[in-house]
Amino acid sequence: MAAGAKIIRYRGVIKRYGGFQALGGVDLDVHAGEVVCLIGPSGSGKSTLLRCTNGLEAIDGGDIEFEGAMLPRDERALRAVRTRMGMVFQSFELFPHLTALENVAEGPRTVLRNDLVEANRRATAMLAKVGLADKASSYPSALSGGQQQRVAIARALAMEPDVMLFDEPTSALDPETIGEVLSVMKKLADEGMTMVVVTHEMTFARRVGDWVAVFDTGRIVEQGPPTQIFDAPTTERTRDFLSHLGWTG
Amino acid sequence: MSFDWSVVWQHRDALIAGTATTILLTVATMAIAVPCGIIVAILRLYGWAPVRALATAYVEFFRNLPLILVVFWAFYVPPILTGLGLSPLATGLAALALNVTAYNAETFRAGINSIRRGQVEAAMVLGMNRVQALRRVVVPQAVRRILPVLASTWVSLFKDTSLVSVIAVTELAYVSMQIRAQSFRVLEMLTAMAAIYWLLGYPQAKLVDWIQRRFAITE
Repeated sequence: MAAGAKIIRYRGVIKRYGGFQALGGVDLDVHAGEVVCLIGPSGSGKSTLLRCTNGLEAIDGGDIEFEGAMLPRDERALRAVRTRMGMVFQSFELFPHLTALENVAEGPRTVLRNDLVEANRRATAMLAKVGLADKASSYPSALSGGQQQRVAIARALAMEPDVMLFDEPTSALDPETIGEVLSVMKKLADEGMTMVVVTHEMTFARRVGDWVAVFDTGRIVEQGPPTQIFDAPTTERTRDFLSHLGWTG
Repeated sequence: MSFDWSVVWQHRDALIAGTATTILLTVATMAIAVPCGIIVAILRLYGWAPVRALATAYVEFFRNLPLILVVFWAFYVPPILTGLGLSPLATGLAALALNVTAYNAETFRAGINSIRRGQVEAAMVLGMNRVQALRRVVVPQAVRRILPVLASTWVSLFKDTSLVSVIAVTELAYVSMQIRAQSFRVLEMLTAMAAIYWLLGYPQAKLVDWIQRRFAITE
C-alpha cells in the first residue's frame, strides 16, 4: 500500500451494548505509515473502536473499510483480515504455557502454516527486534511486564501485519518498564508501520503521533495533528480533558 | 486363631495376573475417557443446541447413576436386547469408560471455562479459528489446570475397577475373592488385596502430584 493511502476508514461507526451507546457515529481515517493516537477519558469508546477494527466486536451501524474493502462480517473472511492486523492488549495475553519464542512462532505456525524451522527463524528475528533475543526460552511468568508486552508486540509482528492496533499497551505496566515498550513502539513508527494506538501516554501521542483523536462519550470531539490537540485545542472538551491530566502544553 | 499367609504366596501368579488386569482396566479406561471427556465437554460448551442438550443429558445421566448399576446393566441388558454380548472385560471397560468420561467432561468443562476470554481473543487476533484457538491455546492450559482433579479421578478409578468383579472380570478383587472362597482364608486374602491396592495406589497419587507440580503454569 502506497504511503499516504487510506488504510482504515471509519464512517459513522455505531456500537451499542444493550441500551448503552459505546460509539455514537465515529468518522476517522488512518493513512498508511501514520500513527493515529486515540485519547480521552476511560469509557469514552477508544478501545471499543479498536476492537471493532478487527471484528472482535461487531458494529451496529456505519461502516469500517480496511484496505479499500468493507470489513467482512463472515468469520472466515474476518480471519483473513485479522492476519493483516496485529493487536496488542493492555493485559499482554501471552500464552502462559508457551515460551517467548513459541508465543511468537505460534501465529506463523498455526495460521500461516509455516514449518517449524521457518516459524522459529521468524520468531527469533522478531524477538531480536524488540530486544529480547536472550529471553527466547523464558516463559511469560519469568518476564517483567515490559518484557511480556514486548514479546506480545513481537508475536503480532511475526504475522507481518499491515497495521498494528495497540489497546492501552502500557496501562498495566510498572512505571519503570513503560519506557522500554514505548521505545519499541517508537522504533516501529519510525520504520513506517501504520499504527492505531489507544493510550493515556500523552507524551507518546504528542511526540510519535501523526494524528490524534480525542474521544468523549462515544464520539470524537476533536481530531488533528498533535500540535493542534496539545498546543491549540479548539474544543472546550479537549482542553478540559488535557487539564485534568495536568497537561500544560 | 491361626493365620496362614502362605496362601497369598501360593496364589501369587493369579494375584499378579489380576493386578495386571486392574492396571490394564485403569489405563484403558483413562485412555478412552480423557479424549472422550474433552470431546463431550467441547460439544457441551460449543455444540449446536441439540448436540449440546444431548451431551448434557449424557453427562447428567452417567454422573448420577451408581457405577455398579451401569456395570450390571452393560452386562445383562445388551444381550437381552440384541442377542450379542461382549466379553466381561470389554463390558467392564465400557461401563467404566462411560462413567469416567462423564466425570472428565465436567472437569474439562470447568477447566476450559476457567481460561479467561482474553486468551481466546489473543488467539483470534492472530487469525486462528475457534478450533485452533481451543486446540493450541485453551485446552493445553485447561488440561494443566485440572491435572489435580484428573489425578484424583485416576486414583478413584484405580480402586473402582474392583466393581467390575461383579461380572466376573478377573481383575485383582475378583481373583482375591475367588482365592478366599476356595481357601477360606478370609482375613489373609482381604489383607493381601488391601495391601496390593494401597501399595499401587499411593505411588500413583504421589506421581500425579509430582506431574502436577512439574507442569503447573505460573501466571
